Amino acid sequence: MSAPMIELAKVSKSFGANQVLRDVDLAVQRSEVVCLIGPSGSGKSTLLRCVNFLEPYDSGDLRIDGRLIGYEDVAEGTRRPMAARTLREMRREIGMVFQNFNLWPHMTALSNVAEPLRRVRKLASREAADRAMAMLTRVGLAAKADAYPSRLSGGQQQRVAIARALAMQPRLMLFDEPTSALDPELVGEVLEVMKSLAAEGMTMLVVTHEMGFAAHVASRIAFIDEGRIIADGPPRRVFHESPEPRVRQFLQTYQDRNSF
Amino acid sequence: MSLDQFWHYAPSLLSGFGVTILCWAVGSTLGLILGFAIALLRRLEIPPLNGLLRAFIELFRGTPFLVQLFLIYAGGPSIGLRLSATAAGILGLGLYASAYFAEIFRAGFAAVPAGQIEAAASVGMTPFHTMLRVTLPGALIAAVPAIVNMLIILTKETVVLSIITVPELMYQVQTMAAETFTAFDAIFAMAVFYWLLIEAVSRLGSQVETRVTAFLAHEARA
Repeated sequence: MSAPMIELAKVSKSFGANQVLRDVDLAVQRSEVVCLIGPSGSGKSTLLRCVNFLEPYDSGDLRIDGRLIGYEDVAEGTRRPMAARTLREMRREIGMVFQNFNLWPHMTALSNVAEPLRRVRKLASREAADRAMAMLTRVGLAAKADAYPSRLSGGQQQRVAIARALAMQPRLMLFDEPTSALDPELVGEVLEVMKSLAAEGMTMLVVTHEMGFAAHVASRIAFIDEGRIIADGPPRRVFHESPEPRVRQFLQTYQDRNSF
Repeated sequence: MSLDQFWHYAPSLLSGFGVTILCWAVGSTLGLILGFAIALLRRLEIPPLNGLLRAFIELFRGTPFLVQLFLIYAGGPSIGLRLSATAAGILGLGLYASAYFAEIFRAGFAAVPAGQIEAAASVGMTPFHTMLRVTLPGALIAAVPAIVNMLIILTKETVVLSIITVPELMYQVQTMAAETFTAFDAIFAMAVFYWLLIEAVSRLGSQVETRVTAFLAHEARA
């Protein structure tokens, strides 16, 4: 059996005296969609950001397709930070979508998507533009190719950001609360794009507060609380059958807030 | 002052205007280049170098421009720096401006949201390309209003160069005023010249500003 696409073994991370991840174990298989849910401050985003080493973890092993990210083993029990170049090569294969889109404001939608293709994949500008256009078409924004991000709605900006990540043809995608900064009526268009990605078999790790999306699209839900994964399983099991009081309490609060 | 008298001085006034523009343009360019270099070097965060650069900035921001000019022009020869009045004036203006521009560029770099740099890192962009394509454009765009403002201030600071006998506009006007005993007319003529110059600079500046910030307008449309 091949290695999981993402595998965390005893991953820990502290900010100063504050331990945000405590011996986290998690595996995401090829083509799985795993949603990370949990209260704010529980460590979900930190966990996600450790996967492409935007946030360095302190200890444990985090492997992408079997390969340790961020560190190189030098001898038994000792490791050193991975060479920057190697880390960049690994990151090319990991698409990331941020809560605040993080588009480059001085570039058009098309240039935002084409830029990494030109600088990182070293495509000729014509080729990069063609592929970028194809990606924008895919997220339904071909008509906005020449628009600057400030002229796009939040939902459109996030779709451009997804296109930018997808254009690199990553092996997996990370989503860090992709709809949390959006007006409610714009959430749907972003979730639609994510659903279609999931349907095509993209491996996805998603930090989200969209319980509907998690329930319907995720293969598994991992519930994280105080830096520990306290429930991990198919949505039905986590949402309805979890014996964990913290999980039940969280879901109850969520339901109360969303009923009117 | 009669019109005849004025025509008599017109060539020297025009040449003074020319010298003013020359000093401003060269001094500002020098200040921009030097200031940018300082801001870039400070980003490397090399401890002793950083201390030196900060001391440089503090020195030139913390002392009057007039004093700096005197030190360069009068004190320069004692360290082997023998310059004409105009060269000393341009160098002084450039050094003075660079301290301010360095801070303007530093603020520009700080204004680029960390997320934009993270986005570049997440697709595997090199630090060099990230600087060139993401950080630098963002920093420059953020700095444009402050740069334009500083250029306008520098236009007016050129007046100070007259004190070390740079034959710029102020110097010519003072000469005319002294020789014709017509202070008001002379100063009035000078005010018109400076007003024209500053008007031109600020118009150009606001055009540049409108251009670079047009697509950064914050009201996003749905």
